[in-house]
Amino acid sequence: MITLLAHVVSGLAIGCGFALVGSGLVAVYRVTGVVNFAQGMFAVVGGLCASAFLGAGIWHGGAELLAVAVAAAAGAVTGLLALGRRGTAPMTALIVTLAVGFLAYAVLVAVFGDTPRSTPGLPGMTSLLGVPVRRHHLLVIGVTAVVFLALWLFLTRTYLGKALTACASNPYAARVTGIPVARMAQFAFVLAGVLGGVAGVLVAPLRPMSFDSDVTLIVHGFAAAVLGGLTRPMVALAGGVLLGVVEALVAGYGNAAYQTTVALVVMLAVMIWHAARRPSVHQEVTV
Amino acid sequence: MRSAGVWAVLAVAAATLALPLVLDSGGLAVYVQVAVSASVVVGISLLMGYAGQVSLGQAVFFATGGYTAALVSQAGLPTLAGLLAAPVVAALCALVLGLPLLRLRGHHLAFATIAVHLIFLVVVAQTDALGGSTGLQGIPLLSLGPLEVSTNQGYAYVAWAVLAVVVVVARNIVRSRPGRALRALATSETAAASSGIPVGRYKLTVFAVSAAFAGAAGGVFAFYIGFLSPGMFPVSMSITYVVMAVVGGLGSVWGAVAGTALVTVLVHYLGVLGTLGGMPDYAPSVFTYAVYGLVLVLTVLFLPHGVVPSLAEWWRRRVRARQGRERAGADGRAPAPT
Repeated sequence: MITLLAHVVSGLAIGCGFALVGSGLVAVYRVTGVVNFAQGMFAVVGGLCASAFLGAGIWHGGAELLAVAVAAAAGAVTGLLALGRRGTAPMTALIVTLAVGFLAYAVLVAVFGDTPRSTPGLPGMTSLLGVPVRRHHLLVIGVTAVVFLALWLFLTRTYLGKALTACASNPYAARVTGIPVARMAQFAFVLAGVLGGVAGVLVAPLRPMSFDSDVTLIVHGFAAAVLGGLTRPMVALAGGVLLGVVEALVAGYGNAAYQTTVALVVMLAVMIWHAARRPSVHQEVTV
Repeated sequence: MRSAGVWAVLAVAAATLALPLVLDSGGLAVYVQVAVSASVVVGISLLMGYAGQVSLGQAVFFATGGYTAALVSQAGLPTLAGLLAAPVVAALCALVLGLPLLRLRGHHLAFATIAVHLIFLVVVAQTDALGGSTGLQGIPLLSLGPLEVSTNQGYAYVAWAVLAVVVVVARNIVRSRPGRALRALATSETAAASSGIPVGRYKLTVFAVSAAFAGAAGGVFAFYIGFLSPGMFPVSMSITYVVMAVVGGLGSVWGAVAGTALVTVLVHYLGVLGTLGGMPDYAPSVFTYAVYGLVLVLTVLFLPHGVVPSLAEWWRRRVRARQGRERAGADGRAPAPT
């Protein structure tokens, strides 16, 4: 029972990372219809920068915030490249974000080298209902809860957040009412950068990160977000947490080699089930 | 005009056939690499350009072909049988995978194929029959009866022969009646379906054909390299194939070949630059990724139809303009707007 709870807590922590990456995907997709392939890269940028800033002697907290700021800047650059030209179709923009991922590989390898890095998280263990858990796991869960609460308040209670939602549901109507849709799309990319950066900073102490860790992060983030059709952040949270816990249980009680496989098969099954339910006519993209 | 095109093609073909005789070993490796990758990329170009489907897991079929060729020839069967089995097994895998996967479209399919790639890597690394994570060693040389292909030049010709078959098959598909149906499908699946095209079956067939091309290339690769391990097929490999297809021009068979050659040669020679003295040891990989990223961004933003179709369009416009000028000169009027 104690080991079960310990597995669940560590799964929750890593799942929160997936959920944050997934919510970044949601932020961009809702507003622009673009699936941002560089989303995993934002997390890698966050994680690697945090390790570099800590190594440079910046105190905890400051280093992490700076790293998130760098990830936000990466988000802004990605947005400019993907949407800077007028009339870029979402599928074209996906290819551009893929290219940005490769460019980021070049920059990341040049700056950080190609060996995996980790950061010291919150040290030590604590006891939760008699179960020993890593304090960093609790920190990850706590920060994620706060971020998602803030995200929810932002989207539903502020003018900017409502404008973003308006762009998502009907860009034409949003433009008619005077919302600068193009600037909102840029803002969505910056927001995605922040969410990815937070994910990277939180996950780096749990899993060593190298420049190409983005593939597993983005696939898991996508898996988490796709449950809610890529448009609902809260479903992405649920999906991410579910994936994390399932993986932790597979690793804990089965074969650790198959932990991602199980999660990916679940994601494929969900996607195919979704696709089978919706007729293709409604999904056709008009160019 | 038409004969000039034919002569140009013949000249390029002759130069291509002569190249292995004069290249140094590094150049020869690039030469084989181009032919092997181009066979995969032609398939992707068909799949993306005609069926409108993105596969970011094509390296899986490449690897499937490689492992098939290796296992068949290690089982004591003729190596030629291995080479022939490679595309067949890859196509069968594509049929089985495609049935559920091709219900997905757009970015969903893109992610699903990456997921399949990741699953493939794990499964291969866990399967002892495939050599696990250490892989298969000692794949025999390709041989045809008493003739053994042992030199890199030999493999260069084998690889280009396979590419030639791939190009001919692809061009015949494109120009046939099903090819026209495919083009309709690429524009609008709904419209294609309502004019009686069996959309699902066609998509699945193209998927299988593109996998067969990748499988054949993988077979050549296995004999050429002599060993296989899952680490040789990273996810980024699948993505680089898409980069080559997009750069060359989707839906264009020659575009696929040219795009592959362009990107591969650029990456190789910048990589050589990276190994020069005074460069840090990670410079080659930095250059490689930078080339893929930059070439892709520049192509997508400035030549959205790819290098070869854009060049062809530019040439056609030039010829038309010149003809227009000549006509205008002949009867003293301005050329009619087309």
